[in-house]
Amino acid sequence: MQREIPIDQAKIDLYGKINGDNDIIHYDHEYCLKRGFRGTLVHGPHLSAFVCDLAMKKYGKDWFYRGKLHTKWVGPVCPGDKLIVELKDDGSVVERVKDEVTVIGRAVLEDR
Amino acid sequence: MTRPDQLKPREDSVPGTPYDAFVVGAALPELRFTITPAIVEEYFDSVEADRSLYKLDGRLAAPPNVLFPYMTVPLYRKYPPIQGIVMAEVEFRWRNPIWADETTDMVVTGKVADKFEKRGRRYVRWEAEWKRADGTPIASMVNTFHVPS
Repeated sequence: MQREIPIDQAKIDLYGKINGDNDIIHYDHEYCLKRGFRGTLVHGPHLSAFVCDLAMKKYGKDWFYRGKLHTKWVGPVCPGDKLIVELKDDGSVVERVKDEVTVIGRAVLEDR
Repeated sequence: MTRPDQLKPREDSVPGTPYDAFVVGAALPELRFTITPAIVEEYFDSVEADRSLYKLDGRLAAPPNVLFPYMTVPLYRKYPPIQGIVMAEVEFRWRNPIWADETTDMVVTGKVADKFEKRGRRYVRWEAEWKRADGTPIASMVNTFHVPS
């Protein structure tokens, strides 16, 4: 299953408001260009959160008690990007912008 | 206090922590905070979560990932952040729900687990246990981030 999420700076700012950070890597376009990125960066945990609706659909209530989410942020996601978030049948997670993979990981249930 | 921005030092608000200052094995001070229904509502909106998915036996729960905005608080209170930190990876294991319609008192403990260099970049790895104040386990977490030189 997958979902598509268009990214803009307003979404980064909204997450930043509850996250409470002031890291210019999320807000200062010029700084990010100097760091070699295409633009400001979506917060990593914000990207991880996009998987969780899919995990809820896949696992239901077990996700609250046995869910294990591992995400590795391997590429930038910036304003203007159209993010594709995919949770595969085997629990593997891939997020990508066009052909560039930005997040990899797994969302699975643990035995208890 | 409830909001992450009330709990964590913001970049540039205090001198940040360079890589060399992180001490592997160092325990982080116990953190206590509350998650209110208002925070849960704000979080639903901030991550575009579908509330209809989070009903548990008819009662609305918070997305387990509502802990994400608090994720760095236990660490940053001991090691305030420098500018330009980039997150590398995180693992959360959830154990019990946080309800959306009540205030939850939380207690977090943790420690710096490792620091290492890889492909010319410096990383810090730390871990934390998230529990309700009554001891009910909520989540275990391991997080790794890149500290710019």
